Amino acid sequence: MSIMQYNGGSVIAMVGKDCVAIASDLRLGNQSLGISSNFEKIFAMTERTYVGLPGLATDVTTLHEQLRYRLNMYTIKEERTMEPETFIHLVSSTLYEKRWGPYFIEPVLAGMQKTPSGAFRPFVASTDLIGCINFAKDFVVAGTASEKLFGVAEGLWEPDLEPEDLFETISQTLLNAVDRDAYSGWGAVVHVITKDKVVKRTLKGRMD
Amino acid sequence: MPDGSYERPQQRQFNPYSENGGTILAIAGADFSVIAGDTRQSEGYSIQTRYAPKVFRLTERAVLAVNGFAADGNMFVKKVKQRLEWYRHAHAKDMPLRAIARLIQTMLYAQRFFPYYVYNILGGIEEDGTPSHVSHTALVRAHARAHAHARALTHSASALGTGAVYSFDPVGSYEREACRAAGAAQSLVQPFLDNQIYFKNQTPAPGTNHPTHLPLPDVLSIVIDSFTSATERHIEVGDGLEIYVVLAKGRSTQELASIGGLQELSTRAEGDRMFVIRRDLKKD
Repeated sequence: MSIMQYNGGSVIAMVGKDCVAIASDLRLGNQSLGISSNFEKIFAMTERTYVGLPGLATDVTTLHEQLRYRLNMYTIKEERTMEPETFIHLVSSTLYEKRWGPYFIEPVLAGMQKTPSGAFRPFVASTDLIGCINFAKDFVVAGTASEKLFGVAEGLWEPDLEPEDLFETISQTLLNAVDRDAYSGWGAVVHVITKDKVVKRTLKGRMD
Repeated sequence: MPDGSYERPQQRQFNPYSENGGTILAIAGADFSVIAGDTRQSEGYSIQTRYAPKVFRLTERAVLAVNGFAADGNMFVKKVKQRLEWYRHAHAKDMPLRAIARLIQTMLYAQRFFPYYVYNILGGIEEDGTPSHVSHTALVRAHARAHAHARALTHSASALGTGAVYSFDPVGSYEREACRAAGAAQSLVQPFLDNQIYFKNQTPAPGTNHPTHLPLPDVLSIVIDSFTSATERHIEVGDGLEIYVVLAKGRSTQELASIGGLQELSTRAEGDRMFVIRRDLKKD
Protein backbone atom coordinates (compact mmCIF):
# COMPACT_ATOMS: atom_id res chain seq x y z
CA MET A 1 0.00 0.00 0.00
CA SER A 2 1.44 3.33 -1.10
CA ILE A 3 2.74 5.87 1.42
CA MET A 4 1.04 8.62 -0.55
CA GLN A 5 -2.30 6.96 0.25
CA TYR A 6 -1.68 6.29 3.94
CA ASN A 7 -3.45 9.35 5.33
CA GLY A 8 -5.58 10.34 2.32
CA GLY A 9 -6.66 13.78 1.18
CA SER A 10 -6.85 15.86 -2.00
CA VAL A 11 -6.31 19.44 -3.15
CA ILE A 12 -7.22 21.42 -6.27
CA ALA A 13 -6.43 24.94 -7.49
CA MET A 14 -8.10 26.77 -10.39
CA VAL A 15 -7.55 29.96 -12.38
CA GLY A 16 -10.36 32.47 -12.89
CA LYS A 17 -10.77 36.03 -14.17
CA ASP A 18 -8.44 38.12 -12.00
CA CYS A 19 -8.81 35.52 -9.26
CA VAL A 20 -7.69 32.06 -8.20
CA ALA A 21 -9.24 29.47 -5.94
CA ILE A 22 -7.74 26.63 -3.96
CA ALA A 23 -9.74 23.93 -2.21
CA SER A 24 -9.19 20.77 -0.24
CA ASP A 25 -10.95 18.13 1.78
CA LEU A 26 -10.48 17.90 5.56
CA ARG A 27 -9.91 14.19 6.10
CA LEU A 28 -7.02 12.64 7.93
CA GLY A 29 -7.08 8.88 8.19
CA ASN A 30 -4.97 5.94 9.18
CA GLN A 31 -5.59 3.88 6.07
CA SER A 32 -9.31 3.03 6.17
CA LEU A 33 -9.83 4.42 9.69
CA GLY A 34 -10.85 8.06 9.69
CA ILE A 35 -9.20 10.03 12.46
CA SER A 36 -9.86 13.72 11.89
CA SER A 37 -12.44 15.66 9.91
CA ASN A 38 -10.64 18.87 10.70
CA PHE A 39 -7.21 18.42 9.10
CA GLU A 40 -6.47 21.55 7.09
CA LYS A 41 -4.04 21.09 4.23
CA ILE A 42 -4.06 24.61 2.78
CA PHE A 43 -1.77 27.22 4.29
CA ALA A 44 -1.44 30.97 3.65
CA MET A 45 2.24 31.52 3.00
CA THR A 46 1.86 35.21 2.16
CA GLU A 47 -1.19 37.44 1.81
CA ARG A 48 -1.58 36.35 -1.82
CA THR A 49 0.09 32.94 -1.92
CA TYR A 50 -1.67 29.82 -0.70
CA VAL A 51 -0.18 26.35 -0.79
CA GLY A 52 -2.00 23.04 -0.46
CA LEU A 53 -0.04 20.05 0.83
CA PRO A 54 -1.75 16.67 0.28
CA GLY A 55 0.05 13.43 1.11
CA LEU A 56 1.65 11.97 4.22
CA ALA A 57 0.33 14.00 7.16
CA THR A 58 3.57 14.18 9.11
CA ASP A 59 5.25 15.66 6.03
CA VAL A 60 2.35 18.12 5.61
CA THR A 61 3.28 19.66 8.94
CA THR A 62 7.07 19.39 8.50
CA LEU A 63 7.09 20.78 4.96
CA HIS A 64 4.81 23.64 5.94
CA GLU A 65 7.20 24.58 8.75
CA GLN A 66 10.26 24.21 6.46
CA LEU A 67 8.71 26.43 3.79
CA ARG A 68 7.59 28.98 6.36
CA TYR A 69 11.15 29.14 7.71
CA ARG A 70 12.70 29.63 4.26
CA LEU A 71 10.06 32.16 3.26
CA ASN A 72 10.62 34.16 6.45
CA MET A 73 14.40 34.22 5.87
CA TYR A 74 13.75 35.54 2.35
CA THR A 75 11.36 38.22 3.64
CA ILE A 76 13.86 39.36 6.28
CA LYS A 77 16.79 39.54 3.85
CA GLU A 78 14.95 40.94 0.84
CA GLU A 79 12.60 43.18 2.85
CA ARG A 80 9.77 42.33 0.49
CA THR A 81 7.03 39.75 0.06
CA MET A 82 7.84 36.67 -2.00
CA GLU A 83 5.80 36.32 -5.20
CA PRO A 84 3.98 33.02 -5.92
CA GLU A 85 6.13 32.22 -8.97
CA THR A 86 9.23 32.53 -6.82
CA PHE A 87 7.63 30.51 -4.06
CA ILE A 88 6.91 27.51 -6.30
CA HIS A 89 10.61 27.50 -7.20
CA LEU A 90 11.39 27.51 -3.47
CA VAL A 91 9.07 24.52 -3.06
CA SER A 92 10.81 22.80 -5.96
CA SER A 93 14.32 23.19 -4.54
CA THR A 94 13.21 22.22 -1.03
CA LEU A 95 11.74 18.99 -2.40
CA TYR A 96 14.64 18.16 -4.73
CA GLU A 97 17.08 18.49 -1.84
CA LYS A 98 15.44 15.31 -0.57
CA ARG A 99 15.65 13.59 -3.98
CA TRP A 100 16.75 10.21 -2.57
CA GLY A 101 14.49 10.29 0.50
CA PRO A 102 11.62 12.60 -0.43
CA TYR A 103 8.80 14.27 1.42
CA PHE A 104 5.64 12.36 0.47
CA ILE A 105 3.74 15.46 -0.60
CA GLU A 106 2.57 16.78 -3.97
CA PRO A 107 2.20 20.53 -3.35
CA VAL A 108 -0.42 22.66 -5.09
CA LEU A 109 -0.09 26.44 -5.20
CA ALA A 110 -2.50 29.27 -5.94
CA GLY A 111 -1.72 32.96 -5.81
CA MET A 112 -1.86 36.40 -7.38
CA GLN A 113 1.40 37.28 -9.12
CA LYS A 114 2.42 40.94 -9.24
CA THR A 115 3.25 42.10 -12.77
CA PRO A 116 5.79 44.85 -13.65
CA SER A 117 2.89 47.24 -14.27
CA GLY A 118 1.64 46.74 -10.69
CA ALA A 119 -1.39 44.70 -11.66
CA PHE A 120 -2.02 41.14 -10.53
CA ARG A 121 -2.11 37.99 -12.63
CA PRO A 122 -3.76 34.75 -11.44
CA PHE A 123 -1.19 32.00 -10.91
CA VAL A 124 -1.46 28.29 -10.17
CA ALA A 125 1.24 25.62 -10.14
CA SER A 126 1.99 22.23 -8.66
CA THR A 127 4.97 19.93 -8.29
CA ASP A 128 5.52 16.23 -7.94
CA LEU A 129 7.06 14.85 -4.77
CA ILE A 130 10.61 15.57 -5.97
CA GLY A 131 9.97 19.09 -7.19
CA CYS A 132 9.16 18.98 -10.92
CA ILE A 133 7.02 22.09 -11.48
CA ASN A 134 3.83 22.08 -13.55
CA PHE A 135 2.89 25.62 -14.65
CA ALA A 136 -0.73 25.11 -15.63
CA LYS A 137 -2.95 27.67 -17.32
CA ASP A 138 -6.22 26.17 -16.09
CA PHE A 139 -6.08 23.99 -12.97
CA VAL A 140 -3.84 21.70 -10.92
CA VAL A 141 -4.83 18.69 -8.83
CA ALA A 142 -3.15 16.39 -6.31
CA GLY A 143 -3.97 13.74 -3.74
CA THR A 144 -5.75 10.41 -3.55
CA ALA A 145 -8.66 11.72 -5.65
CA SER A 146 -6.42 13.34 -8.29
CA GLU A 147 -7.76 11.30 -11.21
CA LYS A 148 -11.35 12.06 -10.22
CA LEU A 149 -10.42 15.74 -9.85
CA PHE A 150 -8.92 15.73 -13.35
CA GLY A 151 -12.09 14.25 -14.80
CA VAL A 152 -14.57 16.63 -13.22
CA ALA A 153 -12.36 19.71 -13.59
CA GLU A 154 -11.80 19.02 -17.28
CA GLY A 155 -15.57 18.80 -17.71
CA LEU A 156 -16.60 21.82 -15.63
CA TRP A 157 -13.76 24.36 -16.00
CA GLU A 158 -13.83 27.14 -18.52
CA PRO A 159 -11.61 30.24 -18.81
CA ASP A 160 -12.38 33.63 -17.26
CA LEU A 161 -14.75 32.59 -14.50
CA GLU A 162 -15.66 35.41 -12.11
CA PRO A 163 -14.89 34.79 -8.40
CA GLU A 164 -18.46 33.74 -7.54
CA ASP A 165 -18.64 31.38 -10.53
CA LEU A 166 -15.12 30.06 -9.87
CA PHE A 167 -16.22 29.27 -6.32
CA GLU A 168 -19.16 27.22 -7.59
CA THR A 169 -17.05 25.43 -10.20
CA ILE A 170 -14.18 24.49 -7.87
CA SER A 171 -16.63 23.43 -5.16
CA GLN A 172 -18.58 21.11 -7.46
CA THR A 173 -15.32 19.74 -8.84
CA LEU A 174 -13.98 18.95 -5.36
CA LEU A 175 -17.20 17.57 -3.87
CA ASN A 176 -18.05 15.22 -6.73
CA ALA A 177 -14.48 13.98 -7.05
CA VAL A 178 -13.94 13.23 -3.35
CA ASP A 179 -17.33 11.50 -3.13
CA ARG A 180 -15.88 8.79 -5.39
CA ASP A 181 -12.73 8.42 -3.28
CA ALA A 182 -12.76 6.48 -0.03
CA TYR A 183 -9.66 8.25 1.29
CA SER A 184 -10.80 11.84 0.65
CA GLY A 185 -13.74 13.83 1.98
CA TRP A 186 -15.04 14.28 5.54
CA GLY A 187 -15.48 18.00 4.97
CA ALA A 188 -14.14 20.56 2.50
CA VAL A 189 -12.73 24.09 2.47
CA VAL A 190 -12.42 26.60 -0.38
CA HIS A 191 -10.31 29.77 -0.54
CA VAL A 192 -11.10 32.33 -3.26
CA ILE A 193 -8.27 34.81 -3.73
CA THR A 194 -8.60 38.15 -5.49
CA LYS A 195 -6.23 41.13 -5.41
CA ASP A 196 -8.13 42.73 -2.52
CA LYS A 197 -9.28 39.87 -0.33
CA VAL A 198 -9.38 36.19 0.40
CA VAL A 199 -12.69 34.52 1.22
CA LYS A 200 -12.56 31.18 3.01
CA ARG A 201 -15.73 29.05 2.92
CA THR A 202 -16.50 25.66 4.41
CA LEU A 203 -18.56 23.40 2.18
CA LYS A 204 -21.40 21.16 3.25
CA GLY A 205 -20.66 17.75 1.86
CA ARG A 206 -21.13 14.07 2.53
CA MET A 207 -19.50 12.93 5.75
CA ASP A 208 -19.16 9.30 4.79
CA MET B 1 23.43 -6.90 -10.97
CA PRO B 2 22.46 -3.66 -9.15
CA ASP B 3 18.76 -4.54 -9.20
CA GLY B 4 19.39 -7.63 -7.00
CA SER B 5 17.73 -9.96 -9.52
CA TYR B 6 20.62 -12.43 -9.49
CA GLU B 7 20.37 -12.91 -5.73
CA ARG B 8 17.10 -14.82 -5.68
CA PRO B 9 15.31 -17.41 -7.84
CA GLN B 10 12.78 -16.10 -10.35
CA GLN B 11 9.74 -17.68 -11.94
CA ARG B 12 8.46 -16.73 -15.34
CA GLN B 13 4.90 -17.45 -16.42
CA PHE B 14 2.73 -16.75 -19.45
CA ASN B 15 0.29 -13.91 -18.72
CA PRO B 16 -2.98 -14.74 -20.46
CA TYR B 17 -4.38 -11.23 -20.10
CA SER B 18 -3.45 -7.84 -21.51
CA GLU B 19 -4.97 -4.37 -21.15
CA ASN B 20 -6.16 -2.59 -24.27
CA GLY B 21 -7.27 0.73 -22.75
CA GLY B 22 -10.29 2.69 -23.91
CA THR B 23 -13.42 3.84 -22.12
CA ILE B 24 -17.14 3.16 -22.40
CA LEU B 25 -20.21 4.92 -21.06
CA ALA B 26 -23.98 4.41 -21.05
CA ILE B 27 -26.84 6.65 -19.93
CA ALA B 28 -30.54 5.70 -19.69
CA GLY B 29 -33.25 8.25 -20.43
CA ALA B 30 -37.02 8.05 -20.00
CA ASP B 31 -37.61 6.51 -23.42
CA PHE B 32 -34.12 6.19 -24.86
CA SER B 33 -30.65 4.86 -24.03
CA VAL B 34 -27.26 6.10 -25.11
CA ILE B 35 -24.24 3.76 -25.19
CA ALA B 36 -20.85 5.14 -26.21
CA GLY B 37 -17.22 4.12 -26.45
CA ASP B 38 -14.02 5.55 -27.85
CA THR B 39 -12.37 3.65 -30.71
CA ARG B 40 -8.71 3.60 -29.64
CA GLN B 41 -7.11 0.26 -28.85
CA SER B 42 -3.74 0.40 -27.11
CA GLU B 43 -1.24 -1.74 -25.25
CA GLY B 44 1.11 0.06 -22.91
CA TYR B 45 2.33 3.20 -24.66
CA SER B 46 1.55 1.90 -28.15
CA ILE B 47 -1.61 2.38 -30.14
CA GLN B 48 -2.65 -0.88 -31.80
CA THR B 49 -5.37 0.77 -33.85
CA ARG B 50 -7.27 4.05 -33.97
CA TYR B 51 -10.50 2.29 -34.92
CA ALA B 52 -11.55 -0.84 -33.05
CA PRO B 53 -15.25 -0.74 -32.11
CA LYS B 54 -16.14 -1.57 -28.53
CA VAL B 55 -19.90 -1.06 -28.79
CA PHE B 56 -22.03 -3.66 -30.55
CA ARG B 57 -25.68 -4.06 -31.54
CA LEU B 58 -27.17 -7.24 -30.11
CA THR B 59 -30.85 -6.91 -31.06
CA GLU B 60 -33.23 -4.23 -32.32
CA ARG B 61 -33.23 -2.73 -28.86
CA ALA B 62 -30.09 -3.95 -27.06
CA VAL B 63 -26.52 -2.69 -27.31
CA LEU B 64 -23.49 -4.13 -25.53
CA ALA B 65 -20.31 -2.20 -24.80
CA VAL B 66 -17.26 -4.22 -23.76
CA ASN B 67 -14.00 -2.94 -22.30
CA GLY B 68 -10.83 -4.35 -20.78
CA PHE B 69 -8.98 -7.10 -22.60
CA ALA B 70 -10.06 -6.75 -26.24
CA ALA B 71 -9.60 -10.42 -27.19
CA ASP B 72 -11.95 -11.50 -24.39
CA GLY B 73 -14.31 -8.62 -25.19
CA ASN B 74 -14.65 -9.54 -28.86
CA MET B 75 -15.07 -13.24 -28.13
CA PHE B 76 -17.61 -12.56 -25.42
CA VAL B 77 -19.75 -10.47 -27.77
CA LYS B 78 -19.60 -13.26 -30.35
CA LYS B 79 -20.80 -15.79 -27.76
CA VAL B 80 -23.60 -13.52 -26.49
CA LYS B 81 -24.81 -12.96 -30.05
CA GLN B 82 -24.80 -16.72 -30.60
CA ARG B 83 -26.92 -17.29 -27.50
CA LEU B 84 -29.38 -14.60 -28.63
CA GLU B 85 -29.70 -16.29 -32.00
CA TRP B 86 -30.46 -19.64 -30.33
CA TYR B 87 -33.08 -17.90 -28.17
CA ARG B 88 -34.69 -16.41 -31.27
CA HIS B 89 -34.90 -19.81 -32.95
CA ALA B 90 -36.31 -21.44 -29.81
CA HIS B 91 -38.82 -18.75 -28.80
CA ALA B 92 -39.63 -16.86 -32.01
CA LYS B 93 -38.96 -13.51 -30.35
CA ASP B 94 -36.09 -11.33 -29.19
CA MET B 95 -34.78 -11.68 -25.64
CA PRO B 96 -36.05 -8.92 -23.33
CA LEU B 97 -33.28 -6.62 -22.07
CA ARG B 98 -33.48 -7.77 -18.44
CA ALA B 99 -33.16 -11.36 -19.62
CA ILE B 100 -30.09 -10.50 -21.68
CA ALA B 101 -28.62 -8.95 -18.54
CA ARG B 102 -29.21 -12.13 -16.55
CA LEU B 103 -27.80 -14.21 -19.42
CA ILE B 104 -24.62 -12.13 -19.40
CA GLN B 105 -24.30 -12.76 -15.66
CA THR B 106 -24.49 -16.53 -16.07
CA MET B 107 -22.11 -16.51 -19.03
CA LEU B 108 -19.54 -14.48 -17.08
CA TYR B 109 -19.87 -16.49 -13.88
CA ALA B 110 -19.44 -19.73 -15.81
CA GLN B 111 -15.84 -18.55 -16.25
CA ARG B 112 -15.47 -17.65 -12.57
CA PHE B 113 -12.08 -19.40 -12.26
CA PHE B 114 -10.60 -18.07 -15.50
CA PRO B 115 -12.64 -14.92 -16.11
CA TYR B 116 -13.31 -12.90 -19.20
CA TYR B 117 -11.29 -9.78 -18.37
CA VAL B 118 -14.09 -7.55 -19.57
CA TYR B 119 -16.23 -4.83 -18.02
CA ASN B 120 -19.60 -4.99 -19.78
CA ILE B 121 -22.25 -2.32 -20.03
CA LEU B 122 -25.58 -3.34 -21.56
CA GLY B 123 -27.93 -0.61 -22.69
CA GLY B 124 -31.21 -0.43 -24.54
CA ILE B 125 -34.98 -0.35 -24.21
CA GLU B 126 -36.69 -2.48 -21.60
CA GLU B 127 -39.98 -4.08 -22.63
CA ASP B 128 -43.35 -2.42 -21.96
CA GLY B 129 -44.76 -2.33 -18.50
CA THR B 130 -41.57 -1.99 -16.50
CA PRO B 131 -41.27 1.13 -14.37
CA SER B 132 -38.62 3.69 -15.09
CA HIS B 133 -35.58 2.98 -12.91
CA VAL B 134 -34.96 5.46 -10.12
CA SER B 135 -32.11 4.64 -7.73
CA HIS B 136 -32.90 4.46 -4.02
CA THR B 137 -30.77 7.48 -3.16
CA ALA B 138 -32.58 9.51 -5.82
CA LEU B 139 -35.94 8.61 -4.23
CA VAL B 140 -34.69 9.70 -0.81
CA ARG B 141 -33.49 12.99 -2.20
CA ALA B 142 -36.75 13.62 -4.07
CA HIS B 143 -38.71 13.26 -0.83
CA ALA B 144 -36.31 15.40 1.16
CA ARG B 145 -36.37 18.33 -1.20
CA ALA B 146 -39.72 19.97 -1.88
CA HIS B 147 -38.35 22.33 -4.50
CA ALA B 148 -39.32 22.06 -8.17
CA HIS B 149 -36.86 22.95 -10.91
CA ALA B 150 -37.95 25.49 -13.53
CA ARG B 151 -36.84 23.13 -16.29
CA ALA B 152 -39.88 20.82 -16.21
CA LEU B 153 -39.50 17.78 -18.39
CA THR B 154 -42.15 16.95 -20.99
CA HIS B 155 -41.44 13.72 -22.79
CA SER B 156 -43.41 12.02 -25.54
CA ALA B 157 -46.74 10.42 -24.68
CA SER B 158 -45.37 6.92 -25.42
CA ALA B 159 -45.26 4.82 -22.26
CA LEU B 160 -44.04 1.79 -24.20
CA GLY B 161 -40.51 0.82 -23.25
CA THR B 162 -38.11 2.65 -20.94
CA GLY B 163 -34.40 3.28 -21.24
CA ALA B 164 -32.24 0.90 -19.21
CA VAL B 165 -28.53 0.45 -18.47
CA TYR B 166 -27.02 -2.62 -16.81
CA SER B 167 -23.36 -2.71 -15.70
CA PHE B 168 -21.30 -5.81 -14.90
CA ASP B 169 -18.02 -6.75 -13.27
CA PRO B 170 -15.78 -9.38 -14.94
CA VAL B 171 -17.39 -12.28 -13.06
CA GLY B 172 -21.01 -11.32 -13.56
CA SER B 173 -22.09 -9.14 -10.64
CA TYR B 174 -24.63 -6.74 -12.16
CA GLU B 175 -26.98 -3.89 -11.40
CA ARG B 176 -29.42 -1.69 -13.26
CA GLU B 177 -28.45 2.00 -13.15
CA ALA B 178 -29.25 5.32 -14.77
CA CYS B 179 -25.67 5.78 -15.88
CA ARG B 180 -22.25 4.14 -15.73
CA ALA B 181 -18.76 4.68 -17.10
CA ALA B 182 -16.17 1.92 -17.35
CA GLY B 183 -12.62 1.47 -18.56
CA ALA B 184 -9.38 3.41 -18.39
CA ALA B 185 -11.01 6.78 -17.74
CA GLN B 186 -13.78 5.51 -15.45
CA SER B 187 -12.33 7.45 -12.51
CA LEU B 188 -12.39 10.63 -14.60
CA VAL B 189 -15.84 10.24 -16.14
CA GLN B 190 -18.01 8.66 -13.42
CA PRO B 191 -17.78 11.58 -10.92
CA PHE B 192 -18.65 13.99 -13.76
CA LEU B 193 -21.71 11.88 -14.55
CA ASP B 194 -22.67 11.76 -10.84
CA ASN B 195 -22.79 15.56 -10.95
CA GLN B 196 -24.47 16.02 -14.35
CA ILE B 197 -26.90 13.08 -14.47
CA TYR B 198 -27.72 12.44 -10.80
CA PHE B 199 -27.20 16.13 -9.81
CA LYS B 200 -25.14 15.04 -6.80
CA ASN B 201 -23.96 17.90 -4.58
CA GLN B 202 -26.43 20.20 -6.30
CA THR B 203 -29.55 21.66 -4.76
CA PRO B 204 -32.37 22.66 -7.12
CA ALA B 205 -33.50 26.29 -7.29
CA PRO B 206 -36.10 27.07 -4.57
CA GLY B 207 -39.54 25.95 -5.72
CA THR B 208 -38.21 23.48 -8.32
CA ASN B 209 -37.00 19.87 -8.59
CA HIS B 210 -34.20 18.28 -10.54
CA PRO B 211 -35.57 16.48 -13.63
CA THR B 212 -35.69 12.70 -13.12
CA HIS B 213 -34.72 12.18 -16.76
CA LEU B 214 -32.74 14.52 -19.00
CA PRO B 215 -33.70 15.26 -22.61
CA LEU B 216 -31.73 13.52 -25.37
CA PRO B 217 -29.74 16.55 -26.67
CA ASP B 218 -28.51 17.25 -23.11
CA VAL B 219 -27.48 13.62 -22.65
CA LEU B 220 -25.59 13.61 -25.95
CA SER B 221 -23.73 16.80 -24.97
CA ILE B 222 -22.76 15.23 -21.65
CA VAL B 223 -21.49 12.10 -23.41
CA ILE B 224 -19.39 14.10 -25.89
CA ASP B 225 -17.99 16.35 -23.14
CA SER B 226 -17.14 13.29 -21.02
CA PHE B 227 -15.07 11.82 -23.84
CA THR B 228 -13.33 15.06 -24.85
CA SER B 229 -12.42 15.59 -21.17
CA ALA B 230 -11.17 12.02 -20.80
CA THR B 231 -9.17 12.34 -24.03
CA GLU B 232 -7.44 15.46 -22.65
CA ARG B 233 -6.25 13.84 -19.47
CA HIS B 234 -5.88 10.13 -20.24
CA ILE B 235 -3.41 8.82 -22.80
CA GLU B 236 -5.38 5.64 -23.56
CA VAL B 237 -8.49 7.56 -24.65
CA GLY B 238 -8.85 9.28 -28.02
CA ASP B 239 -8.94 8.86 -31.83
CA GLY B 240 -12.70 8.44 -32.29
CA LEU B 241 -16.05 8.20 -30.55
CA GLU B 242 -19.03 6.00 -31.43
CA ILE B 243 -22.38 6.73 -29.79
CA TYR B 244 -25.30 4.32 -30.16
CA VAL B 245 -28.73 5.87 -29.52
CA VAL B 246 -31.68 3.54 -28.96
CA LEU B 247 -35.13 5.12 -29.01
CA ALA B 248 -38.27 3.44 -27.71
CA LYS B 249 -41.07 2.63 -30.15
CA GLY B 250 -43.17 5.67 -30.94
CA ARG B 251 -40.61 8.13 -29.61
CA SER B 252 -40.02 11.12 -31.86
CA THR B 253 -36.71 11.31 -33.74
CA GLN B 254 -37.08 15.07 -34.06
CA GLU B 255 -34.29 15.82 -31.57
CA LEU B 256 -31.80 13.90 -33.73
CA ALA B 257 -32.67 15.83 -36.89
CA SER B 258 -30.01 18.48 -36.26
CA ILE B 259 -27.22 15.94 -35.61
CA GLY B 260 -24.67 15.55 -38.39
CA GLY B 261 -23.30 12.22 -39.55
CA LEU B 262 -26.15 10.18 -38.08
CA GLN B 263 -26.48 6.60 -39.31
CA GLU B 264 -29.65 4.58 -38.83
CA LEU B 265 -29.23 0.92 -37.92
CA SER B 266 -32.89 0.05 -37.41
CA THR B 267 -34.76 -1.36 -40.38
CA ARG B 268 -38.35 -0.56 -39.45
CA ALA B 269 -39.70 2.91 -38.75
CA GLU B 270 -42.55 1.49 -36.58
CA GLY B 271 -40.35 -0.36 -34.08
CA ASP B 272 -37.61 0.72 -31.69
CA ARG B 273 -35.11 2.88 -33.57
CA MET B 274 -31.33 2.69 -33.34
CA PHE B 275 -28.79 5.22 -34.57
CA VAL B 276 -25.01 5.60 -34.52
CA ILE B 277 -23.23 8.93 -34.22
CA ARG B 278 -19.50 9.03 -34.96
CA ARG B 279 -17.21 11.81 -33.91
CA ASP B 280 -13.45 12.39 -34.00
CA LEU B 281 -11.44 12.66 -30.81
CA LYS B 282 -7.92 14.05 -30.45
CA LYS B 283 -5.31 11.65 -31.78
CA ASP B 284 -2.36 12.59 -29.53
